[in-house]
Formats: sequence, C-alpha cells, structure tokens
Amino acid sequence: MSRHKFFYVIALALIVALSCPLSVFAQEKVIKIGALYPMTGRAGLYGLDSVDAAEMAIEEINSKGGVNGYKLELTNTDSKAKPDYSVMVAKRYITQDKMHFLFGVVSSAVGLAVTEVSKQYKKIFIGTDHASTQLTTDKFQPYYFRVSNNTFQSMAAGALYLKELQQVKPWQTIAYIGPDYAYGHDQWEELRYNLDRFGVKYKAVGEYWPKLFAPDYTPFITSIINDKPDILVSGFWGGDTVAFIKQAQPYGLFKKTLYFHPDAGGNYELMSAMGTELPEGLVLSARHHNNWPDTALNKEYVEKFFKRTGRYPTYAAEGAYAGIYAIAEAVKKVGNPDDTEALVKALEGLKIQLPEDPEGFTSYIDPATHQVVQVQAIGVTKPNDKYPPAKMMLGDWKIYKAEDLLPPKDYADRQKKK
Amino acid sequence: MDFSFIVMQFLSGLMMATLLFLVASGLTLIFGVGNVFNFAHGSFYMIGAYLAYQTVSVWHTNFWLSVLVASLGAGVLGMLAEALFLRRIYGRADEGGFQILLTYSFILVIDDLVKLIWGTEYKSLARPSGFTGTVELFGLSIPAYNLAIIGIGIVVVIVAWFVLARTRSGRIARAAALDREMLGSLGINVPFTMTLVFGIATAMGGFAGALAAPLRSVSPGAGIEVIIDSLIVVVIGGMGNFWGAWLGALILGEVNSFAVATVPDWASLFNYLVMVLTLIFKPEGLFASRKIRRV
Repeated sequence: MSRHKFFYVIALALIVALSCPLSVFAQEKVIKIGALYPMTGRAGLYGLDSVDAAEMAIEEINSKGGVNGYKLELTNTDSKAKPDYSVMVAKRYITQDKMHFLFGVVSSAVGLAVTEVSKQYKKIFIGTDHASTQLTTDKFQPYYFRVSNNTFQSMAAGALYLKELQQVKPWQTIAYIGPDYAYGHDQWEELRYNLDRFGVKYKAVGEYWPKLFAPDYTPFITSIINDKPDILVSGFWGGDTVAFIKQAQPYGLFKKTLYFHPDAGGNYELMSAMGTELPEGLVLSARHHNNWPDTALNKEYVEKFFKRTGRYPTYAAEGAYAGIYAIAEAVKKVGNPDDTEALVKALEGLKIQLPEDPEGFTSYIDPATHQVVQVQAIGVTKPNDKYPPAKMMLGDWKIYKAEDLLPPKDYADRQKKK
Repeated sequence: MDFSFIVMQFLSGLMMATLLFLVASGLTLIFGVGNVFNFAHGSFYMIGAYLAYQTVSVWHTNFWLSVLVASLGAGVLGMLAEALFLRRIYGRADEGGFQILLTYSFILVIDDLVKLIWGTEYKSLARPSGFTGTVELFGLSIPAYNLAIIGIGIVVVIVAWFVLARTRSGRIARAAALDREMLGSLGINVPFTMTLVFGIATAMGGFAGALAAPLRSVSPGAGIEVIIDSLIVVVIGGMGNFWGAWLGALILGEVNSFAVATVPDWASLFNYLVMVLTLIFKPEGLFASRKIRRV
C-alpha cells in the first residue's frame, strides 16, 4: 500500500467513525430530542440560553436515573433563524436521525414552518419560545405543543393592566411602535382586540412600523412625541428595545408618556444591557422573571443557571427548561418515547410545576389548543442590583390569572375567516 | 404639521443621515480608491462598537479615548485583512465575485470572534459625560450628543474632501483608483498604499461604530444590519464620492424622517424607492466618481 492510499484509508475510517452517533456504540435507551435554536446573530443569546437551560434540565433528570430507564439526549443545530433551512434540518432529524421530538425555535417564522413538518411526519414539536398566537389557533395542528405564553396572553394581561390603570389615572390616547413583521403586527391587533373585549375606551393616535433590527429610531421618537400619546405600547424584542429606549430617553419621551411593553420588554437582557441607563417607571413584562415569583423553585432555577453559565437567564431559557420537563413527564406516563399518539394524549392537559408558577398555581397544557396556560406578571422598573450587571429590575407586580388571558372560543374561527 | 415639528423632524433626519454617512464613508472610500466592495465593512463598524464598550465599560477610561482605540483597532485589523487575504485576489478574472465571497466570510469570522470574546449578551454604553443632557434650540430640546454627532459628520466630510482633493497623499490615492500600474512605475509602493487605504477605510468604520455605540445596542450581527443602508447611500451618492455619500445619506435620512411623520405605514418602503429612482434616472449616482464618468 502506498503512503497515499494509506492516508485515504485512515481518513475514510475517521469519517465513518465520526459520523456514527455516539448512541450506536452505547447500548442505552435514549429519548432523542432534535432542537433548532439560532446560535448566531441578534437572536443568538436566546438560542444559547435555551440550549444551556435545556441541558441543565436534562442533567437534572438523567442524574436521577432518567425516565423509565431512558436517558434524555439533546442535539442542537443552528437554525440561523431561517425557515427554509430549519425545515431541511427538521426533516433530517426525523428521517435520518430518528429523533423522537422536534424542539425549540425562537423565531415565529421558523416555528410556523417547522410545525408543518411536524404535521406532515406526525412527530411531536415542542415549541419553547416563539410567541405567534397563530400556532395554537388558526395554524394549530395536533402534534404541536407550546410551553410558553403566546402574544395573545401577554396582550390580554396588558389590556387588563391598562384597564385598571385607567380607573386610577384616566388616560385616553395610545400609540404603538413595533417591528414591521407578523410578531409586531399581531401584538397591536391583539391588544386592541382585548381592550375592546374588556370594554376599555381609548383613542389610537399613532402606529409606527420600523424594520426589525433597525439601528435608528430618532425620526420615530420625535414623531411620537408630536402625537402626545398618554401610553406608548411597544412590541420590540431584544436589542431593538435597548436601542429605542437609549435613543428616546434624552428626548424626555418617558416623562410625558408611559412606556408600556407587556410581551418581551421585561426580558432580563434589557436590564443586564442597560444597567443604570434604564429609566425608572417603565411598565414591562416577559415570559419569565428572575425575581418573580418568590418561590423556592424559581430561586433555585435562577441560581443554578447562574452557577452553570456565569450569567442570569433571559426568559427564553425557562421555556426550554419547561419543554424538557414536559417531554420527561409525557414519556413517564406513556412508558416509551416511540408511541407518538399516546404521547400526544399524555401531553394534553399535562400539569407541570415550573419556576414561573406562583404559589398555588401549576402550569398546564390546554387540551383544546395545546397552549400552556400560565399566570402573567407585569412590573415596573425600579432600582435593584441583586442580579448584576442589572441595576434595575421589575417590581410593584400586578398579577393576572391564567384563565383570564386565554383567547375566547371563537377566536380561532375569527382568525381563520380573515 | 406645525413649524417647530418640521424643524424637529428635519433634525431627526439629519441625525439619522449623519450616522448613515459615517458608516458609508469608509465603504465609499475603499470602493472609490481600491475598487473593493468590502461587504464586511459593517463588521469593522461592529468591532469599533465593541472596542469602545471594552475601553469605557471594562477598562473605565474616557469615551473619546475609546473612539480613538476603536478606530485604531479596526484600522489595524483591516490592514491585516487586506495584506493577508484580499491582496491575493486582486486582478483575478471575476475579481468582484471573489471579493464578495471573501469579505462575506470576514463577516462570519468576525461575528464568531466577537461572540467568543464578548459573549452574545447585548452590551450598552452610556453617553459620554458632558453630552448626557439636552440643548435648547429654537425652543426645542435636542439631545446634546445628537448635535455632537451631526457636527462630527460635517467635520469628517470636509476633512476627507480636503485630504483627497488637496494633499499629495490624496492625489496618490486617487491615482491608485485610476491606474495602479502607472502609479507603480512612478515609484509609489502600490501594495502598501492599498493596505493603508483599506486600513483607513476600516478605521472609519470603527470610528462610526464607537460613535454610534452610545445610541444603539452592541450585539453580534450588528454589522450586517448597517451594511445594506450604507450600500444604498453609496449607490445614491456615486461610488467613491464623499460629498455624494453625505448628500445620499442626507436624502435618505430626510426622506425617511418625513415619511415616518406623514405615512408611517409605508415608511420603510422609501429607502428603496429613492435608490430605484436614482438607478433609473442617474445610474452612476448623484455625484459620479471620475472613473465611472470616463467609461
């Protein structure tokens, strides 16, 4: 054998060895979870936090011996936040890698694409972060389950908050700014729907649609100031929130207008990025808070995450953590991860105690829509340096009961007709 | 729409325009002189923002010093990128395609580098002391830092014009854009000139990143977001022309600002509309550079 050929053989052997998944060698029973989180770009932090939290949950479960003799195993592929690419990976997960569950997804656009794959192949897709209400209403399919609140629930809580506020401090006008894609438009529509449903009288004086990830908001800010709204509702997420607040603050916008951001505004990333720059008195919420509820489970979860990664979690993390526990509970009930139809039955109505559940409440999955039903807390920014590098955290909480935030029965039909 | 609101919206547009110009100026320089379309220009902008964050928030030094660190850092990195990689593809058949592929790969590499060093969390930088308040102007309160940015933009366009048009180095740079071989035979070290110009262009990107950092969130992926608008500015203004880039940015900023105030539902359409109209009626750009005019 010439030296040349020898190298080819070695190389070939290496490729074969590396391409075999480890589970081929290990004779363990494994629940395989195929995750699709973005690891790059603006949404990278959400992906990184989600994977860290999911792995934390998996270690907790596996260290206690797993589920019915099965160990959990997570594989993540960078979704690049691109729907077509994610669809390709999801199909590969099912057909080649024989994954038992599809998992994750930050962007609703990716979620809407992957749910079609899940439907086509009859494989369960556990949604952990993306918030578009469509997935559990008009685009609902039986193999999809979501373990975090959707925008409808946030906006219902938001509408109730505004209703109570009106009784204390009569406000009349409202303006909206949010990114110019489904997520931004859905929130505004759902907020108005809920305000009407709860009989709140108001006048909308401006609607603004900057591009997602737009770096500059100055013209929007001066135009909003000219509209003089009592309330400015914001539908940004991530770095866009940071940029908007930084640019608006020196114009004095927050002195004249109440900044109200009930879906993603209260995410810890904002507090950690802005430190003392974050103004006091902004009204924000998110799908999980590091300092609410004050339960042992939440404290333990937050501290454990911090010890593991050196940073406090954003809300995306808790969604992924919840997703892993939901899978474990379902497999425990069914006994194996292969009987998809039985797993669907097990997940429907599943009760699961999560870090974000306040005392006396347990999150559960609504059997009709496969949407998790959870309490929502809205808070106000106040000085608090217990979660560095943040210098402000939310406080003065207002709590909204889970059942009050669900879409009415006819909501899905109404959306389908549109 | 009352008069003070028009003035306010105009200043908002000017502010937006200046930031656009500061990013686009480096892009137009390297395009005009080096005939290189540096797709990764935004990544050098991002490097500048991170270096400013590092200098101010981690090392606790002065903001204006951090602007210098950011410009130098981005400049040195740019010179390395040119000398080690870009230089190898000059003069190849289909050089343009290679340029895009190579500089696009820079974006990915720099994005990952930034993630390794600083993590994925959003970073934020406070406005420098002395510029945190507002200035009263014609009865309007304008943030002082915004006015400073607008002023810096005007200084940059004048200095760049002066250097390029009135100094020996500027003449060499312009000559490099026209005929590198002739310049080499006259005894000028052309490869070094190219490296230097590329370094200056990326330093301008870093400069813009540092100045924009107190107004924006610093995060991975920030580079790719500014490059498209900068490209539109460069196309409108005429590739390689500083006054053109400034005017292009001004048009884009003002059109945007008044579109937001009058037809908010359609505002984001206008950037592209301006570019399309320019491409139809004056495809070489409003201020075409000499080279393109000659062809």
